[in-house]
Amino acid sequence: MFKKLLLGSVVALGFTGSAMAETVNILMEGVPDTQFVKELIPEFTKETGIEVNLEVVNYAEMHTKLVPQLVSPQGSYSAIVVDFYWVGEFVKAGWMQPLDERIKADNFDTSVYVPALMDLVGQVDGTTYMLPFYNYAMGLTYRTDLLADAQNQADFKAKYGMDLKVPATWDEYLKQVEFFTKDGMHGVVNQGLRPDPIAMEWSNYLFANGGTYHDADWNPTLNNEAGVKAVEQYKTMIDKFGPVGSASFSFDEAFNVMAQGKAYSYITYNFFRTAYDDPSKSAVVGKVEIMPVPGPTPEQGGSLNGAWGWAIPKSSPNPDAAWTFLKWVESKEIAKKRALAGGSPTRTDVFDDPDLNAKYAYFPALKQMLLTSHNFPVFTYTPQLVEVLGRELSLAVAGEKSPSDALAAIEAEMAELARKDGKLK
Amino acid sequence: MSGIKASAADRRDARFGYVLAAPSLTVLFLIILFPVLSALYTSLHEYTLIAPNFDIFTGFDNFRLALADAEFRHSAWLTIRFVIGVVLLEFVIGFGIALMLNKVERFKPIYYAILLCPLLMNPVIVGLIWRMFLHPNLGIVNYLLSTVGLGPVNWLGDTKIAIWTVIMVDIWHQVSFMIVLLLAGLASLPKEPYEAARVDGANAFQCFIHITLPMMRTVIIVTLLIRLIFAVKTYDLIYIMTRGGPGVATDLVSYFIYRTAFVGLNIGEASAMSIILLTAILGLTAYLYRYMRSIR
Repeated sequence: MFKKLLLGSVVALGFTGSAMAETVNILMEGVPDTQFVKELIPEFTKETGIEVNLEVVNYAEMHTKLVPQLVSPQGSYSAIVVDFYWVGEFVKAGWMQPLDERIKADNFDTSVYVPALMDLVGQVDGTTYMLPFYNYAMGLTYRTDLLADAQNQADFKAKYGMDLKVPATWDEYLKQVEFFTKDGMHGVVNQGLRPDPIAMEWSNYLFANGGTYHDADWNPTLNNEAGVKAVEQYKTMIDKFGPVGSASFSFDEAFNVMAQGKAYSYITYNFFRTAYDDPSKSAVVGKVEIMPVPGPTPEQGGSLNGAWGWAIPKSSPNPDAAWTFLKWVESKEIAKKRALAGGSPTRTDVFDDPDLNAKYAYFPALKQMLLTSHNFPVFTYTPQLVEVLGRELSLAVAGEKSPSDALAAIEAEMAELARKDGKLK
Repeated sequence: MSGIKASAADRRDARFGYVLAAPSLTVLFLIILFPVLSALYTSLHEYTLIAPNFDIFTGFDNFRLALADAEFRHSAWLTIRFVIGVVLLEFVIGFGIALMLNKVERFKPIYYAILLCPLLMNPVIVGLIWRMFLHPNLGIVNYLLSTVGLGPVNWLGDTKIAIWTVIMVDIWHQVSFMIVLLLAGLASLPKEPYEAARVDGANAFQCFIHITLPMMRTVIIVTLLIRLIFAVKTYDLIYIMTRGGPGVATDLVSYFIYRTAFVGLNIGEASAMSIILLTAILGLTAYLYRYMRSIR
């Protein structure tokens, strides 16, 4: 009897084994775009018979979960998504498969991608390791209803001698922040938590003042007039024009302040734009718009770029199936569907699509933002640089270091990291 | 003659004992000693996640680098103060509540259940809940304060307040651990000495000082020791609530080591830091253990 039972279960197992389709396993972060991809996956399984299993985790867990899988000869992830932070490290460690041959064999067109994104999460030194997945460039979100208010316009004109309108330059924006800090409203809300929220947000301030992280030879260029001004402005925003506690806000807390209608503006990731129009999360539906962070002149932008890319790790158990998935998910059709659902595209043909522009009036602004945005330094030690920035900026905001001392400390550590990586000679 | 026989039997017993203990000793070796030795070995090499190999032997360089790092020293010093703060406060509060509960006759299981709730929660969830409670503008704590006319407190954004906020949350989360252990100790105390003392006319305070404290000493030391070791490892709360900020106000050593390993990718130096931490905790444990034996 027992033998029969055993035999029966072995046969049953064998059947399920052979009937089980191939599965593509992907580790992803719990963000809106992941959700949009998840909703589209049944279409892929129907087309190809390949199952897709998305393991969705918090950002903080991703790196720690990925590395052991990437180091081992045979990992459990068929494909991965790579934050631009990690690109330098993953390339240096040789964890990603080059995709050029697959791209060529299938005539997959990569020229449709926004060039800045291809630089950030596509190619490294001429080899394509990733396909840009979604962008999280930062933009200025602001309250359109406050700008349009006649009383505000008259008061602003009287106070500053200029019209109250969508700010064309950084200085104009700073005046608006000061102006709107009144009657319990805050001119701005900041995400001052270390390390990445503050480091990413402050980068916009740096670029908006015309600053840069390093010169062509990777010599740090932070401790100068633009850098010091950026730190001083950031501190003033938190101390004078922002709500109490924004020095410790992560992006969700800062977003909530803005979404509850308590602030005029918030510089944040563009994927938050759709959330402002979601009545379950926002009390300011239809009153918030996004634009590129204004720069020192109307022609220059101050936005920080950011993006994730799809990649196939060397340790992938089934790279061919993974590539089939990548090709499908990054096709114009699927990329467009994802964008229609509210995703952040990376393809120019999706940005130019008439259906999308009809649905989302802010799409031209998003495209403009990507085209004028600045990249964060990408090298092996990007995460560590973010860590250093977070610590020193947080010290400066807390008033425990002068802006110039904090920037000098960042420069010293950044130069050491760049030297260790062979970027700085 | 009988002595020799007994020792032969003893030896047999001892051998049998070793055989019985062998499986658990093997498991202990594999899951505790092996990782520790592996960390020690790693700490003597330049082992990074970029080049995960033991090609370069660096001797004690990683230890020198760690000890020379002002950030590491700051984290270590902050951790010492944090640990003393939470352990002492939790002990005082926990012992007080345990003494009160020890007198309670009715509904004891209900009090237990309520007290154990925070302890059963995952620290990550505790951190997230408190982050929401303590939101300066939208959180309930500042709202309640505002109803009695107190201004908004910048719980996590002020360098002077943040560490106390973390200590407060840690106490909320862990104090029931102290209560449960101390209460178990109190419940097992014999009744006779108290009765005798009462006959002699001792008051409650005298009973506490001269009977409860001396008889509870071992339990107290074990409780403090376990809590102390856990407190040194505090990581989740910091990670969720402050990320070590604002500035470096809450940058505890476990979180610092984590960053060295997984952000800085420097497993060698992080291992060295862990070994330093382990040595410190071991030393403290050994000292308390000897102290405990000496007073028996």
